[in-house]
Amino acid sequence: MTNSKVCVLGAGSTKYGKLNESIIEIALDAAKDAIDSAGITPKEIQAGYISNVFGVADRQVHMAPVIMSNLGISHVPGLTIESACGSGSVMFREAYANVAAGFYDYVLALGVEKVTHTSTVHSTTLFSYCSDFFYEGGNGASFPGLFASMARAYMNTHNATEEDLANVAVKNHENGFLNPKAHIRKRITVDEVLKSPVVASPLKLLDCCPFSDGASATILCSEEFAKKSGRPYMEIIGSGRGASPAAVQGREDITTIPSTVAAAKQAYKMAGVTPKDINFAEVHDCFTIAEIIDIEDLGFFPKGKAAHAVRDGATRLTGEIPINPSGGLKSKGHPIGATGVGQVVEVFDQFTGRAGERTVPNAEIALAHNFGATGASAAVHIFRKVDRK
Amino acid sequence: MMKKLSVKENTREKFIEAANRKKILAHRCTTCGHLMLETVLYCEKCSGSKLEHAELEGAGTVVTYTIQAVAPEGFEDAGSYAWVVFKVDNHQLRASGFLPGVKTPADLPIGTRVRVTGFDPKHGLMLQK
Repeated sequence: MTNSKVCVLGAGSTKYGKLNESIIEIALDAAKDAIDSAGITPKEIQAGYISNVFGVADRQVHMAPVIMSNLGISHVPGLTIESACGSGSVMFREAYANVAAGFYDYVLALGVEKVTHTSTVHSTTLFSYCSDFFYEGGNGASFPGLFASMARAYMNTHNATEEDLANVAVKNHENGFLNPKAHIRKRITVDEVLKSPVVASPLKLLDCCPFSDGASATILCSEEFAKKSGRPYMEIIGSGRGASPAAVQGREDITTIPSTVAAAKQAYKMAGVTPKDINFAEVHDCFTIAEIIDIEDLGFFPKGKAAHAVRDGATRLTGEIPINPSGGLKSKGHPIGATGVGQVVEVFDQFTGRAGERTVPNAEIALAHNFGATGASAAVHIFRKVDRK
Repeated sequence: MMKKLSVKENTREKFIEAANRKKILAHRCTTCGHLMLETVLYCEKCSGSKLEHAELEGAGTVVTYTIQAVAPEGFEDAGSYAWVVFKVDNHQLRASGFLPGVKTPADLPIGTRVRVTGFDPKHGLMLQK
C-alpha cells in the first residue's frame, strides 16, 4: 500500500433549509448530484462514508447501508460517522485517508441532516447533548449559551463589542444572498442584528446560524483516476485533525479553540503552505463569535485583531482573505451532519466555475475548517485547484 | 460476571454528594500534583493513574457566563438564569454551574464571587452569588 494523492472529482448539495423529503431522500439527492458531477456511475464507488448526528429524529440510524442500498450498490460497504457539528469534516478525513492509503480508488463522502420537523426547543435540547452534558447541558447551557460564554470571555479580553460580532453576520448574509442553495438569502444590517431577540446573552438571534435540513456529497478518487477522467477536479493537499477539552471550563483560554489550532498546523505543514497562501476559506461560523475565533486560530489574523479586520472588510468577497463566500453556516445554513462536506462542495464550486456571482477571482488554494460542539473535535483541509488547460 | 459499580465508585455520584455539602470534589495526581475535576480518571498532564481525592471549598470567581433567554428542555421553568464558568478559589481549576435569578449582565460582572449551594437533579450544580 502506498500513500497516493487524493482528489475531489465530483460534488453536489441539496438546498439547505426546511426540506419536506425524508432524510434518506435528501441524502440521495446530494449523492446523485455528486455522482453526476464526477461523471461516474454508482458501480465505480467502492465505499461510502456518511456523516450524520440526529438521524434518530427522522427514525433512521445505521444510515450508510440504507443510502448505499438505495443507490443500487448494497454490496458496497458503508460507515456512518458522528462528531457533532464537525461530523462532515471528520468523516471526509476518514474517506480521504482510506483513498490515500490505497484501500479504494473511488469513495462517496456524504453528510446529511434533518431536524427542522422538530420544535425549536427540542432541537435546542438535541444539540445540547453534543456538549459535555454533565457539566454544560445538564447545568442549563444550550449551544448558543456555550458560545455566548466564549463571546463574553473574548469581548472582555480583547475589548470587542456586540457590533463587532454583528459585522460577521452582515458579511455572511451578503455572501449567502448570492448562493441559490443558502437557507437564509436575506441581506441584514448591523442594526437588525443588534435589535434581534436575545437568545443567550450576549448573542442574539441574528448572531446564530439556523437549524437546517440538507445534504452535501463528494466523490473522492486517487489522482490516477482524476487525471484519466478528463474532468475538472481539485487535489486535497493538506488534512489535519485536532481535539480540545470537551467542556469549555476545561480550557485554559476560552478565547481560542485548541483543536482548530492543531488541525490547521498539521494541514498547513502537509500542504507546504502558510495562511498567507490561502485565497479563501470556509470556516465554522455556527455563531458570529466562532468565526472571529476561527480566523485567528487559523492564522489569518493575530489574536485579538479579527474583529477589527472584519469591520475593515478584510474578510468580504473583495477583501484580502474572503471568509465563507458560500454564506457560511450563518446564512447558507447548518445541517450539522452535512456542514463539513458542504464546505468542500463550496470549494469545488469555486474552483470549477459553479459559484456564480460569489466567485472569488483567481483562487487556486482554499481551506475548509469545521468543528464539533464548542470545538472538542475539528478538522481542516486544504485544496488546490488543478488546472486542466 | 462484571462487577456492578457501587455508588461509592461512581465519580459523578461522588461529585454530586460533595456538591450537596457545598464542596467541589477534584482528583489530584499524586505524581505531578495536577488538579482535575473528579470525573477525570487519568492525569491530564502526565497520564498518571494514581489520583487522590481533593475536596475543595465550593467558592470562586466568575470567569465567563451567559444568561439563557431561550432555555433548553428541563429549564423552561427556571426563570432568568445564568450558566456560569468560575475559577475555584486558591486553585487554577474551573467548574461550571447554574445560577438562578440573573436577569441582565449588570447583575453579574466578570469576577463576581459565587459559591456552590448544592446539586439539583433537574438543574445541576447550583450556585449562589
